Amino acid sequence: MKPPPFDYARADSVDEAVSLLAHHRGGAKLLAGGQSLVPMLNFRLLHPALLVDVNRISGLAGIEERNGALRIGALTRHRQIEVSRAVGDHFPVLRTAVRHVAHLAIRNRGTLGGSLAHADPAAELPMMALLLDAKIEISGPNGPRRLEAREFFRSALTTALDDAEMVTGVELPLLPPATGWGFEEVARRAGDFALAAAAATLTLAAGGKVAEARLAIMGAHEFPLRIAAAEARLAGEAPCSGALGAAAKAAREAVEPDDDLHASADLRRHLVEVLARRALESAARRARELAAQVTGGRAP
Amino acid sequence: MTNLRPGLIGARVQRLEDPRLLAGRGCYVDDLRRTGALHVAFCRSDESHARILRIDTSEAARAPGVAAVVTAADLEGACRPLRATSRMPSYQATELPVLAGDKVRYAGEPVAAVLAESRYLAEDAAERVAIDYEPLPAATDPEAALAPDAPRLHEDLASNVIVDREFARGDAEAALAGAAVRVSGCFRMGRKTPAAIENRGYLAEYDEGRRRLTLHSCTQVPGIVRDALAELLDLPGHRLRVVAPDVGGGFGAKVSLYREEVLVSILARRLGRPVKWTSDRREDLMSTTQAFDEVVRAELGVDEDGAILGLRAEIVGDVGAYSVYPWTAAVEPVQVASFLSGPYRVPDYRGRVRAAATPKPPTGAYRGVGRPPAVFAMERLLDMAARRLGMDPRDIRRRNLVRDGEFPYRAPSGLVWDRAAFTGCLERACETIGYDELREMQAAARAEGRRIGIGLASYAELTGVGSRIAVAPGMPINTGTESAAIRIDSTGAVTATFGVSSQGQGIETTLAQVVAEELGARLEDVEIVHGDSAALSHGTGTYASRSAIQAGGAAIVCARSLREKVIEAASHLLESAPADIEVTGGAVSVAGTDRRMSFRELARAVYTEMGRLPREVRERVDLEATGVYDPFWGTTSPATHAALVEVDPETFEVEVLRYVVAEDCGRVINPLIADGQVHGGVAQGIGAALFEEMVHDPSGQLLTASFVDYVVPSAAEIPSMEVEHLETSAENNVGGFRGIGEGGTIGAPAAVANAIADALGVEIEELPATPERLFRLIGPGRRAAGARMETGPGGRGRGNRFTANQTNSGGRSESGSGPTRQSK
Repeated sequence: MKPPPFDYARADSVDEAVSLLAHHRGGAKLLAGGQSLVPMLNFRLLHPALLVDVNRISGLAGIEERNGALRIGALTRHRQIEVSRAVGDHFPVLRTAVRHVAHLAIRNRGTLGGSLAHADPAAELPMMALLLDAKIEISGPNGPRRLEAREFFRSALTTALDDAEMVTGVELPLLPPATGWGFEEVARRAGDFALAAAAATLTLAAGGKVAEARLAIMGAHEFPLRIAAAEARLAGEAPCSGALGAAAKAAREAVEPDDDLHASADLRRHLVEVLARRALESAARRARELAAQVTGGRAP
Repeated sequence: MTNLRPGLIGARVQRLEDPRLLAGRGCYVDDLRRTGALHVAFCRSDESHARILRIDTSEAARAPGVAAVVTAADLEGACRPLRATSRMPSYQATELPVLAGDKVRYAGEPVAAVLAESRYLAEDAAERVAIDYEPLPAATDPEAALAPDAPRLHEDLASNVIVDREFARGDAEAALAGAAVRVSGCFRMGRKTPAAIENRGYLAEYDEGRRRLTLHSCTQVPGIVRDALAELLDLPGHRLRVVAPDVGGGFGAKVSLYREEVLVSILARRLGRPVKWTSDRREDLMSTTQAFDEVVRAELGVDEDGAILGLRAEIVGDVGAYSVYPWTAAVEPVQVASFLSGPYRVPDYRGRVRAAATPKPPTGAYRGVGRPPAVFAMERLLDMAARRLGMDPRDIRRRNLVRDGEFPYRAPSGLVWDRAAFTGCLERACETIGYDELREMQAAARAEGRRIGIGLASYAELTGVGSRIAVAPGMPINTGTESAAIRIDSTGAVTATFGVSSQGQGIETTLAQVVAEELGARLEDVEIVHGDSAALSHGTGTYASRSAIQAGGAAIVCARSLREKVIEAASHLLESAPADIEVTGGAVSVAGTDRRMSFRELARAVYTEMGRLPREVRERVDLEATGVYDPFWGTTSPATHAALVEVDPETFEVEVLRYVVAEDCGRVINPLIADGQVHGGVAQGIGAALFEEMVHDPSGQLLTASFVDYVVPSAAEIPSMEVEHLETSAENNVGGFRGIGEGGTIGAPAAVANAIADALGVEIEELPATPERLFRLIGPGRRAAGARMETGPGGRGRGNRFTANQTNSGGRSESGSGPTRQSK
């Protein structure tokens, strides 16, 4: 379990990293937290000619609020997201999700950009990017570009990134007030990759009807999914258990899981429905509580 | 002579080894650095059963830093054949080659060894070894492997049946025919591996000047390894030393002799350079011995009051490709049959056990050895019978446990239980967990839709087995005795040397407590030496819950005879009658006076100060003693485990809410360490109950080749435990000790399974009770009853994250034009 031979270069800027990637055309890999890359090297599943270490690039890590959004740099560690006050204030669902990412030692090293670019179908941050309508900032030889999260994830471990591109950060548009949230995950052990997980946000309009519902699923499909049918089903409805249950069913119908060692496709489909329902129920409950706080009255 | 101070035996002494082990100051085999060492990387088979057509090592031999590439052809005549022998009538021994020769018999079997200046270079070169295989048909299912026409794994054997044995008493069939209630099941636990935190590692070095070979090994049994290598390599014991330095967990998997330790020994001698191999985790998962892989078809008959009338079982052990040295492949499945009747009165019994050779890694000893599957089956059957009778699980156990007036009780397989707290453990466990209150709470929770279950498991095991009972008849080793040597040196320091060996369980502390108390020394005066074959003439090691009994017994015997010498010397030096000499706190004194000498002063007087002792005393009293202890029979260790679990009926997750163990290990040497043994064992048992399972696909490929897929529970999954010690005196050994090392693993799978069955109202016959299995049992996934989960080819989930069947760290497989691998 030793990695195959590789060259190592430390990039001091995004431009330098990108030009090293471009120069090696597919033969180079970025080294950020290394929490997925290094095990894959040790298993000799990858044989990169060059590792480009981006850990010393200044300005690539950090969390700041600007223009109605939260911007998180690509080199921000999971743990920094987990303990960030701004994340806790604006996106408690993200903070909860990050706590499900592996273990503390891994969260201390693993990065947001690394997780998005690795695109594991059972990883929390890609699903959260999708749920929160993240704009993913990318740099490449032809300069920067931005992609919507829903355009970014293509299949298992595959993204829209070109060989010579790297993620530099994400922008998460702030959620409207009176938005509740829910996050549910089933894994074999604390910190394991999920058998399935669901995350939801639910925004109530005056009168208690759903202004916007979002539902995302992971672990049960080639890549994380937003469940458009479920969201459409809930829009304009009262978030009663019947409507939430129907939305959860829509999630079950949207996923195409495979069998693997830990769960059959049937179990994953079943879990998707259960977890989607539970996540939506939590989101609805929290939304009602928030609405009650705003109006100072009873929950609608 | 009675020591009136509070004794060291029984004291909650902090572990003496912890400042070293917990602060990273331990020294394991991999920590040993030797100038000029060569590092080994193995090319392991990626076929489960195949003929080796060709091995091309030429490219690897030319790779940077490579000193040698070795295959079976290079080892011809290098050592005698290795076979685990036994006198069991039906037993067929298999030859274990150091490297696979014409055939491979499991995926992961070593075929070639690359020796290079670093492990990195060795692995780089191993990728360049080309091996051509012709796949052969393989019977990977153990019951299929028993068939007369099944593909034969060892051509020199008559069949794949390594052993076929029956235990019987009375007429089980008739007893069952007359039973009011009969319950049966096909019980199966997943194949398990111990997953010790320290992978296996070996470093051999040869001193050409003195023609002396030293093997540093993570073994639990340095004495057995030394004796075996002496035979294999034809070396006398004084030219062959086996040292187990700090060892990071063994759990039974390090009690067998491994081909890798033979290989590094041969090559260090041949090449004249230190040769080192440290297993990586993938190799550990595919090559360290595995366990608990039995199919137990069992039927129990009880009368209308729940009294057991008869029990019968057909047991098939999936023992893997080779019979491990020295224990043989019978070690686990035979114990399933011999222990199946448990701590109960079972008048009529018949248990047949067959061990099937299959193209999988060999199985061997693992904490509990056979008893976890046996107890799982028996405790499930009891609960099934109780359910049929409308009887409480506690009551059916009360009804059948061997009672205090009935000891010694001969179990139907011939095992004899000596008096121990069988019923006491049941009552104490139920009392501690609050059994009656929990039943009320369970009913209330059920009304709210919650699924809470209470599971009990009672068992008895035989520990510290003496020379009267061979672990397996005809083994070339003596598992019954252990020896000790204790000396007070010329500085007054006490060094106690043992043939057992520690893997971190606290032996250095418990043996120091025993020696200090029996000798009259202070704890800090005593240094425990263990794990070095050169330190004593004979010793085997640590396994089978024997170290407290055998080594503790040897410590007592030896310390007492040394104490006599101390008293004799002191009586001369202090000019008093021996009967008036007290030895306590590291000093000798005359009772009722202030005449006193510390051990240091005594040692100086004995060894250094000429003229202090008469010549004949000086020649006789050397302040050293040796002792051997043989408990002759063994001693019974019973326990009852009680588990409280909650199952989420929608997600099929199981949470262990509370866990109680009431056990009888006789006189407790150190309650902290006894608790720790129980905690660790229960954690491994919960692993077996809920998480851990070695999965091979039908062609014999290992699918769980990393810790992503082989799921070992972490601290988050293990509840805090409540442990109660009942200390029934064990009169059959000198210390009054009973073994405690394995019990946790024996009781936990059954207790957790019974709790889940109780929560859900279904019968659990297969472990681990994963979400997938429970989904198929109670959820919308319910289909064919009892179907094992079909493991797909590895989908988008975790199964393919680190592709399991990329077996080789090297070793290109180029299956030629041979027949395609036959899938069953």
